[in-house]
Amino acid sequence: MPHPAKLEPAKATIRAYQVGFGDCFLLTFTYPEDENKVAQERHVLIDFGSTGMPDGVTSADQMMKVANDIKQRCNDKLQIVVATHRHKDHISGFATRKDGSGTGDVIANLKPDIVIQPWTENPALEDSQLTGDSAKPVPGQGLQLNVQYVSSLHSMNSLASTIATEIKHLSSQKFMPALSRELKDQIDFLSEDNSLPNRSAVANLAGMGSKAHYVNFGYELDVSQILPGVTIHVLGPPDLDQHAKIRSQKSKDKDEFWMLQGAASDFWKLQAASGELTESLTGTSNRLFPDADVFQDFLPSHNRWFVRQLRSLRSEQLLGLVRILDRAMNNTSVILLFEFGDKKLLFPGDAQIENWEFALNDPKTAELLKDVCVYKVGHHGSRNATPKSLWGQFSLKKDEEEKKNGQKRMTTLNSTLKGKHGHTENNTEVPRTTLVQELKNLSDYRTTEEAAEANKLYIDVDIT
Amino acid sequence: MIPIAKPRTRRLTIVAQDPSVEVNGKILTTQVDVPAEEIAPGPRGYRVQVIDYDTSSGVLYQPIHYPSLQRGSYVDPFARYVADKDNSDWILTEPRFHQQNVYAIVMKTLARFEFALGRRVSWGFRGHQIHIAPHAFADANAFYSKEDQALVFGYFRVGKGKIVFSCLSHDVVAHETTHAILDGLRNRYTDPSSPEQAGFHEGFADVVALLSVFSLKDVVGNLLQKDFTQTKTSSEPSLIPADLLEPEKLKASVLLGLAEQMGAEMTGIRGARADALRRSVNLEPYKPGQVDEIEEFQEPHRRGEILVAAMLNAFLHVWRARIEKIKRGKCDGKLDLELVVEQGADAANQLLTMAIRALDYTPPTDLQFSDYLSALITADKELVPDDSKYHYREILLESFKKYGVEPASINSPDGSWEGCDAKLTYDRSHFESMMRDPDEVFRFIWENREALKLHDQAYTKVISVRPCLRVGPDGFALRETVAEYIQMMTIQARELQFFDPPIGKPEGLNGNREVTIYGGGALIYDEYGRLKYHINNRVENVARQTPRLKYLWRCGYFDVATGTRTAFARLHLNRTLNLRTRSSEVF
Repeated sequence: MPHPAKLEPAKATIRAYQVGFGDCFLLTFTYPEDENKVAQERHVLIDFGSTGMPDGVTSADQMMKVANDIKQRCNDKLQIVVATHRHKDHISGFATRKDGSGTGDVIANLKPDIVIQPWTENPALEDSQLTGDSAKPVPGQGLQLNVQYVSSLHSMNSLASTIATEIKHLSSQKFMPALSRELKDQIDFLSEDNSLPNRSAVANLAGMGSKAHYVNFGYELDVSQILPGVTIHVLGPPDLDQHAKIRSQKSKDKDEFWMLQGAASDFWKLQAASGELTESLTGTSNRLFPDADVFQDFLPSHNRWFVRQLRSLRSEQLLGLVRILDRAMNNTSVILLFEFGDKKLLFPGDAQIENWEFALNDPKTAELLKDVCVYKVGHHGSRNATPKSLWGQFSLKKDEEEKKNGQKRMTTLNSTLKGKHGHTENNTEVPRTTLVQELKNLSDYRTTEEAAEANKLYIDVDIT
Repeated sequence: MIPIAKPRTRRLTIVAQDPSVEVNGKILTTQVDVPAEEIAPGPRGYRVQVIDYDTSSGVLYQPIHYPSLQRGSYVDPFARYVADKDNSDWILTEPRFHQQNVYAIVMKTLARFEFALGRRVSWGFRGHQIHIAPHAFADANAFYSKEDQALVFGYFRVGKGKIVFSCLSHDVVAHETTHAILDGLRNRYTDPSSPEQAGFHEGFADVVALLSVFSLKDVVGNLLQKDFTQTKTSSEPSLIPADLLEPEKLKASVLLGLAEQMGAEMTGIRGARADALRRSVNLEPYKPGQVDEIEEFQEPHRRGEILVAAMLNAFLHVWRARIEKIKRGKCDGKLDLELVVEQGADAANQLLTMAIRALDYTPPTDLQFSDYLSALITADKELVPDDSKYHYREILLESFKKYGVEPASINSPDGSWEGCDAKLTYDRSHFESMMRDPDEVFRFIWENREALKLHDQAYTKVISVRPCLRVGPDGFALRETVAEYIQMMTIQARELQFFDPPIGKPEGLNGNREVTIYGGGALIYDEYGRLKYHINNRVENVARQTPRLKYLWRCGYFDVATGTRTAFARLHLNRTLNLRTRSSEVF
């Protein structure tokens, strides 16, 4: 094989696995044949997770099939693993088992050279560990606040884990009807996706690569040795200093951002502590007021209307909270732009506008985004993960007519499962109908639903 | 047997500020007067119903029972606890005391409004009794929910440590109660409109909660005493060095001291609020219109700080003026602490009365601080024409001006609303009926729609008619009838251009999207049924509607339907977590 620096991929293929509601992409770069007419391939796995499969598909079986296909496709060697963020629908497949038979064990055995994760996953930012190379202070307010932010994310995970206890109380039919099934399902889904049991997956990701990169906007990733001819631009997530720059541009009070950051951190700590408190309040002796008399066998009739209202109110509150923490977690997504030759492939995880805004405010990045030819649709096609200001940047959006006239048109790729999340009535259905229509009108729209309908494990998208 | 007149009030023990404020190692408690009634178990009275259900543990606590009237008086069940117990730990472990605490503060706050307005005040929902859940959930949160006809108070644990009960914070309970009362008086103020209208709800609730604290003399005395020590016998009055009563010193000891105390206990729930108080007290001056250009003042709580700053600084000035009067003739540089505290209580009391009365003189929709300032001046002028003793109005105008707020009424020399000089016809209206009947008032409005400059194509509705009787400091009574009407038009966004002059459509808003614009007015009738004031916002007012629609579009109002249920909770959360909706970015 010639010197890596002179090599350029001849083509790339994205294998989008059918993981139901989740993401799993294997990006393969194919290099030109060498003198022995052997084509070299290099592989990048971007996310591997799921929180729901189509009817008739067993999750464990399907995920193992995917893991084995990845192993086979990359011939037992992965170059890069990217875990965009720690939501289950992106990393559950990295979970291991004690006996080594987990899907995550299969991936770990592919010995990736590097693992890329957001800066928020950096173990050096854990409260108790403030040393190490990767804990380098960032300019401005620095490390301490990044630590605080990471601690908030952990509090959110912790809260999500404890919400189930409260839902149990709210679902009790002892004196009155339980909260609606629909509301319960929504809260369950979001709290499960955000709760802690991704631990083995998190640990696996932290340990599997020869080198771990915890990245933020502008992080320089040198992959010239393992992916010759490919440049990976990191466009997100911004770290707190970068976030602050955006906010401070419009704010008179320069400390406003940091003050609010501190308040938010306190808020999540309190929420996590309240969650723990709720979990501890089970059984008579552990009541908030153990000596107080309570109604055991009935609720006075004049109290019932209000108790019902209160339970429903609390459910709405919990739903609001899990939505917020879900959004915060989505916004830790790594945004990567792979560039080779004249091709640009954009993988933004589940990033929403708060993550995107730093990149979109940077003129150089805006320029870079213009000729993106493949866009992995953010957050399974939800309404708020393809910011219009991002979509507006793409110049290769072309309608059918323009395509017929020979103009180059971009490809959009969506890993999704209809009916799992959100509702059409309040415009929250995933994938969002209006977005999908826009994608269909102005790009070659591909979706893992095609694989599901054809009962296949994946779809392949070639970029030549 | 000679019948004994039933008492009009009863005394109940409450936590004076919150459980973090202790004197001699015990939580500072106080007794407050609330309207007397035969309280059913709950407490459950004619305006308030406490239902102690905890959603986080699924438990309904048994209610407190009150004995009936005994020998002409009511018993305060916890007065004995305060006197007999060696410590105050029971306060944190006795849910029935928490039930009483919220009942008493809500009733006291409601009574304060009714006293100022001279009439009964309704809640902002259909129903007479507001529900209160003192331990609604394990969450650092407390708010008013219109849909649930309720005030809900959470509890939370700080780290692994003690549990904090928001229902035991005077400030939190008074603040949330004020939201509920204000919603009853001006129910369109919860409509999405402008950062200033939303900020008014928050700022006004803070002003009421804070000025109410000054009626609790123990709390203020305690704050003032912290900065000096003295040796005296129990019969001597406490004396405070006069130099501790300079404006900056008062600001630091009392207002910032209050913020510190609130922050100490209510971290998380009112931590940000305590911080807001700190910032309000130290807020730098602004020129008119300047805050509109500053991003952070688009957030309602931050905007509300301006109102708090203006009112609290005015309070400090009045208090100072009163202290100056009692200083006269004193040469030893020391003042009787009790007198100083009393002057503060009186100043706060008077300002609070003005602040509440002003509500009747505000337009019912799209309120701006400048409207409120004109309302404050007018309301007080009506009742107290002579302001020469303490110059309240002058001080208020100065204080608001410092923060860039000028009266909305620009044609009158003192900033008060101009009297109504429209040529009105009363021929077909019935005086007696117009004092209480919305249909009669509507007829009057309809007959005079041209003179009152109403939009004749807008839906118009009289939403309240309230006769009131107010007593001024000189003992004279002022009889007025206050009515309010609203006008609303729902049109497609593209039709906004057909107004003359055109109302601006927010850039990016779909032209077919329906938008509703509001207008309305407050009608103040004198005791002879003649219209004294017509304080209104016209539905086609371009200067208000264009920025309103732009603001709503920016906040995502036209994007996702949001219920009123957790509007206040959402506002607190958005503030804490710096959340913003950007409808222009979503599909």
